[in-house]
Amino acid sequence: MSTTTMPPTKAPKTEPKSAPKGALSDRARSERRLGWMLAGPAFAIMLLVTAYPIVQAFYESLFDYRLTDPDNRSFTWFSNYAVILTDSIWWQALGVTVGITVVTVAVELVLGFALAMVMHKAITSVRPVVRTAILIPYAIITVVSAFAWWYGFNLTSGFVNTWLGLGDYDWFGDTLPALAIICLSEIWKTTPFISLLLLAGLAQVPEVLQEAAKVDGATWLQRLWKVTIPNMKAAIMVALLFRALDAFRIFDNIFIMTRGNNNTESVSFLAYRQTISRLEIGLGSALSVLVFLCVVLIAVVFIKGFKVDLASARGEK
Amino acid sequence: MGPGARTSRGHRGAGTSRPRRRAPITFLAVGAISAGLLTACGGESGPPTLTWYTNPDDGGQAELARRCAEDSGGRYRIETAALPRDASSQREQLVRRLAANDSSIDLISLDPPFIPEFAEAGFLAEIPEDVAAKVTEGVVEGAVAGASWNGELVTVPFWANTQLLWYKKSVVEQAGLDMSRPVTWDQIIQVAKQNGSALGVQGIRAEALTVWVNAMVTSAGGQILENPEAPPEDVRLGLETPAGQAAAKVIQDIVDQGVAGAGLSNRDEDASATLFENGGADFMVNWPFVWPRANGKVEDGSMDQATLDDYGWALYPSMTEGEQSRPPLGGINLGVGAFSKHKDFVLEAAQCITSTENQAYYFRTNGNPPSKEAAFDDPEVREAFPQAPVIRESLQNAAPRPQTPYYNEVSGGLQRTWSPPESVDPNSTPEKATSLIQGVLRKEKLL
Amino acid sequence: MMGAMSTRERVLWYLGALAIVLYALFPVAWIISLSFKSQGDLTDRNFLPRNPSWGNYETIFSGSARDLFLPALRNSLGICLIATFVSVVLAMFAAYAIARLDFPGKRLILSTALVVAIFPAISIVTPLFNLWRGIGLYDTWPGLIIPYLSLTLPISIWTLAAFFREIPWEMEQAAQVDGATSWQAFRKVIVPLAAPGVFTTAIISFFIAWNDFIYGISLTSTEASRPVPAALAFFTGASQFEEPTGAITAAAVVVTIPVVVLVLLFQRRIVAGLTNGAVKG
Repeated sequence: MSTTTMPPTKAPKTEPKSAPKGALSDRARSERRLGWMLAGPAFAIMLLVTAYPIVQAFYESLFDYRLTDPDNRSFTWFSNYAVILTDSIWWQALGVTVGITVVTVAVELVLGFALAMVMHKAITSVRPVVRTAILIPYAIITVVSAFAWWYGFNLTSGFVNTWLGLGDYDWFGDTLPALAIICLSEIWKTTPFISLLLLAGLAQVPEVLQEAAKVDGATWLQRLWKVTIPNMKAAIMVALLFRALDAFRIFDNIFIMTRGNNNTESVSFLAYRQTISRLEIGLGSALSVLVFLCVVLIAVVFIKGFKVDLASARGEK
Repeated sequence: MGPGARTSRGHRGAGTSRPRRRAPITFLAVGAISAGLLTACGGESGPPTLTWYTNPDDGGQAELARRCAEDSGGRYRIETAALPRDASSQREQLVRRLAANDSSIDLISLDPPFIPEFAEAGFLAEIPEDVAAKVTEGVVEGAVAGASWNGELVTVPFWANTQLLWYKKSVVEQAGLDMSRPVTWDQIIQVAKQNGSALGVQGIRAEALTVWVNAMVTSAGGQILENPEAPPEDVRLGLETPAGQAAAKVIQDIVDQGVAGAGLSNRDEDASATLFENGGADFMVNWPFVWPRANGKVEDGSMDQATLDDYGWALYPSMTEGEQSRPPLGGINLGVGAFSKHKDFVLEAAQCITSTENQAYYFRTNGNPPSKEAAFDDPEVREAFPQAPVIRESLQNAAPRPQTPYYNEVSGGLQRTWSPPESVDPNSTPEKATSLIQGVLRKEKLL
Repeated sequence: MMGAMSTRERVLWYLGALAIVLYALFPVAWIISLSFKSQGDLTDRNFLPRNPSWGNYETIFSGSARDLFLPALRNSLGICLIATFVSVVLAMFAAYAIARLDFPGKRLILSTALVVAIFPAISIVTPLFNLWRGIGLYDTWPGLIIPYLSLTLPISIWTLAAFFREIPWEMEQAAQVDGATSWQAFRKVIVPLAAPGVFTTAIISFFIAWNDFIYGISLTSTEASRPVPAALAFFTGASQFEEPTGAITAAAVVVTIPVVVLVLLFQRRIVAGLTNGAVKG
């Protein structure tokens, strides 16, 4: 079952060894076997649907290969990467993607924290209502939410200009306002998720500490800063990491609202355009690999840099 | 792709020449899942069912499919499958399937700019000479040219679209503009400016923008591609010319003179029509669909009869005074899928669909103009489309978009550099477009 | 601790809750309102329809968009339910092993799930598109179900592992001591304890599969497998140049109904599932 293609480093260790030091009892051995029998299929499928495609993508990224012209496929080493990395469009898309990621995650963290506090403290009569309400944006299809926001701000059907008295202002006519709407819809849709992660973190803050701080005469803000937040650092980091990675992959909103018009392309959208529209499989694969590397980089920075212990945060000791 | 490959006749992919890695499970999976699609074709008992991939319309192609299946006397049935709304997504869908040698694609409603690519890739079955002669009889020249590649007819001309200049009669009268002769962009810009109104042009970064730019470049006597048949790395662009600059100048003027109207950089055909209907624009260049649409609005009460009565139409604006314009050429041609199992039936069906009578019907009911001139004489057509004579004349002058197997790259590069329209500058835009398109064709640039 | 609460505080709570409800429902209300506008009102830029009509729903259920929408709805439901079912079953086994058994590689499985969860779909879509064409899975149900597993399996494994860890498994032995067979013990004791977790996991997985767009537009091309989010891009007005706003909004509302119903019925469980699987000390 084990394979060495996955980024995490422990692959070689996974093969159940037949004779480790200190003979295993039969029971332990059969437990091992059963463990892998039960978990194996899920593990294998996860590897199959991700590891295999990314290896394939890397392989194809080394070719000059256009789908409508398969006869002229040729091996070109890393020239696709050179084309991408020297092209201002890639850096522009990367800038847009990073911008969207930073802005949405920052706003969501603040907003999500407020929501989590409300849910944590809410009186019992409003709690189910609040919970239900915030689950709706979480559960709604991203494409639907994108359409809702787009129709709301768009020039021909939107009510926003009518309400704000903006007349014929075209929100999607310039890069910044268009990106702002894209961010808004993203924030609306995903803040609930971040607030639920934070809510779980809030529940872990020991009540005694809060009480003690109160007795010591700490203000609400001091308690928040000195007690609450430090005690839920793990939860905050996990929430940040997951949202950042999710935001970095933004695609649906942009596809529906602007199609990359007015320089609003994200890296995922750029990759889609090369592969699916231009049918340049080689170039598109190279972009896919680059997007993947960016995601890995973000994850590594978080995990190593901020010392996010995902396993312990996820209850795995 | 090397130059050698491109001089060949373009049908090299036909048949089953590419044995790809096909795992046995494939057949199981496909059999189990797409059974619904395949049984229709494989059934020994019933007549074969032809699948016709249609672009969106008001149900007209489905009706034609029904009629022609009936005409076959039960020898075959025709089923329609919908393609997406915009032209480039239609192409994406089709190419993805055809590149997999999909034999379930029998008949294709194909946008002319993509025909060279499909022909070159071997996605289109040959049209026999006798059929070619029949289906091109009495067809406007532009439509035949658009249906051909390398001097051979590779698709059956179906309907031919063109844009007209739509205007408010009252405005034009007041300004004293003589619409019986060709008017220029400058003239309508001036009138709109005096009126504090706008022009309903399409500035969105989509195919509509290419249509506009191409019409202006060709009207000014230029060509976007000077040698469209050359191998991609040798293609020369005709944008850094007086014609290309003139086209950029018109866009710049529209913006600078304040007649662009709201939201130009996101305005498509639909938004232009809305702008014109709401009185936000005195002029508009658009396809004839705006006419049935306005009539429909009057019927359901969301537009006044007076507004409709104020609709005027003329030939597409020209670039220089006294010269005729080359209006945009659009429409749909019918391609026969190279991997279809029933090519004879498909050819027969294509001929039935494109009969003069059916083209007239399609124009009347769906607003899509015929490619056969005779269909314009149909009295019912005249009734439904008072602008039929103008459309016919426009089609005779119309210029196609560049015919190249790399059309998607050319159009995409053009759209990227000429968008947003506010940034268009005669001194730099043509140059930028040239270098981007050449870079993309040499695979040195992203799009 | 919240025993005595002043009326003022109570009112503040209600206002806060109201604000949150407005925040959450406003865009939904807008798209519902749009879907009831008649053709002529769609461009009037008002929030509410002037002449509400069912016209747009007729378009998608019996009118011109019917042949597009109904197969897409069927595909979406079928594909998402199968993907959910498969991933929950697989995750159940895996989570049981992780929660109850001691074997090397536990952490590897969980880390793999993490890596898969952060995988950018766009990186998978290009090679899958190519591969699927090669082996004939392109535009088929399995062709979507398999990549959907990459979305649903990781979260299913975490959520279920968290749930299973809380089950007092000793009760099984206790029941056996009391004379129940092991099957009875499992069915009477463990199943009722595990069922809510499994159910919650299924709902969350379903949401995720239901939400997919990239795979839907890239790996399908006909009614044979195109799911609803992708089909929304295919609706059309009377001609291909006209915006099908009405049909899109009506379809958007229809596909939102199942998720809203699930949320209304199971909000407590879903919250528990999301917070449980995500952060657990």
